[in-house]
Amino acid sequence: MTELSLRLAVSLAQIAAVMGIVMLTVMILTLAERKVLGWMQDRMGPMEVGPYGILQPIADGLKLFFKEDIVPAGANKAMFTLAPILAMVPAMIGFAVIPFGPNVTVDVFGITIKPFVISDINIGVLYILAFASIGAYGIILGGWSSNSKYSLLGGLRSAAQVISYELNVGLAIVGVLLLSGSLSLVTITQAQAGGFWHWFIWGARPDGFFPIHTQIFAFVVFVISAVAETNRVPFDLPEAESELVAGFFTEYSGMRFAFFFIAEYANMVLVSCVAASLFLGGWNAPYPGTILGYAGLEQLAWIENVAWFTLKVYMFLFLFFWLRATLPRLRYDQLMRFGWKVMLPIALANIVVTAITAYFFPR
Amino acid sequence: MNLKTWIKTITFYDLLVGMKATMSHLLHYRPVTLQYPHEKRTLPDNYRGMLALLRYDDGTEKCVGCDLCEAACPSRVIRVVSAEVPGQPAKRYSKEYYMDMTRCLFCGMCVDACPVDALGMTREFEWAVYDKRQLHLNKEQLLAIGDRSFPVREKQLELQHQNVAFFNVAFKHLPQKPS
Repeated sequence: MTELSLRLAVSLAQIAAVMGIVMLTVMILTLAERKVLGWMQDRMGPMEVGPYGILQPIADGLKLFFKEDIVPAGANKAMFTLAPILAMVPAMIGFAVIPFGPNVTVDVFGITIKPFVISDINIGVLYILAFASIGAYGIILGGWSSNSKYSLLGGLRSAAQVISYELNVGLAIVGVLLLSGSLSLVTITQAQAGGFWHWFIWGARPDGFFPIHTQIFAFVVFVISAVAETNRVPFDLPEAESELVAGFFTEYSGMRFAFFFIAEYANMVLVSCVAASLFLGGWNAPYPGTILGYAGLEQLAWIENVAWFTLKVYMFLFLFFWLRATLPRLRYDQLMRFGWKVMLPIALANIVVTAITAYFFPR
Repeated sequence: MNLKTWIKTITFYDLLVGMKATMSHLLHYRPVTLQYPHEKRTLPDNYRGMLALLRYDDGTEKCVGCDLCEAACPSRVIRVVSAEVPGQPAKRYSKEYYMDMTRCLFCGMCVDACPVDALGMTREFEWAVYDKRQLHLNKEQLLAIGDRSFPVREKQLELQHQNVAFFNVAFKHLPQKPS
């Protein structure tokens, strides 16, 4: 067996594992969202399939799988088929650069691999941003090719919204990039090691406690823009139920609809992972080192790191549900005004302030 | 905009108040919903459910085929085909009686209109069907609903001579309807 094929096999195994975990998370999310939403609205959520409805995602998946696949008359069939794929692939592909655990290396059959990140490329953040933008094409094309006015309106709204808020996401993380001096998510996360005051949301220097480089404004801008970018309430204008039936996927059914659905939830998980990695220290525990490491189990410290990462990601996902249970949808002009006249100046001012403080108090 | 409003705006104060409200509902989780097929709410006493035709205790139908229910119905649910009772020229009954329950709005006006209390509203409400035509009920079905919902039947009083018109009340020696 050559080294190349071995690397390929290991990479494919990693990809399969990450895909499996993401799909599992999406399944959990579909149930968790309905449950949390129900509890917050004094309801029970799904209760029928399995004990307390825990098998509901399986039932939903089977139902969607066996649904009739309808292509509306007048739809552009090629684009109609392409759109869900174009929405789902970028959402999945972004996970390639997310570090789920510590940056350790393992030797397998003579080759060195990093088990907790599929590919530690040095432009990781740009890569995620680029593919998130491509994901918008899936939505726009889906809206256009359906040959339905609701879908078209949803797609157009999505285009305008993604442009407005993608910009804010990009500008909000510039501060983090300035401080860490890297675009690789692994390096960025490593720069936040050693206690929660070193996380970029507080931004203490590696030798101090004072949050001099705090990125909390950038963090707020990032979270709000991430909610908008994933088309979630209160920014769910592309799929506004009360105005546009279901927005860009009005005409979709069966597995094609499921693809859009999975893409939306995978995008949620992705932005949560990015937010956790960039601002909340990724896999780092909120205290220096790891408890398992102090206990002499250095080989098992990754369990603690992965657990912290998972906790942070799920915290963000809970925030998504929480916002959905609380807030009504924004009007379209409010959305645009908020994006361009509030979020953008804050993000720009954050870059200026961070640049100045980083110049006078370098890390 | 004064300072207080400004601070409230930049700290998302109003959003946080709303989010606190939803979170408090999550923490003090007290669902108000009923898991319907497994648990059913108790119906009020005057619940107006499925309509039914009733019988007297000897098994004869109460309906005299007067068509007043058909006239009273605002949705034109009821269709009565009235006919003479064979061999009793002054007595009538409903030869056919149809109810199109797809249109019924359960107002109870037919029950109020009936002079002989031949109609009743049961407490049945689980009448979802796959075929709409199953909701077009005939007399036998309506009587069957009445039979299963009203096991205690009213006694038939011979208010009038059989061959005398119903609204003629001149025969004082016959028993009167209790008031």
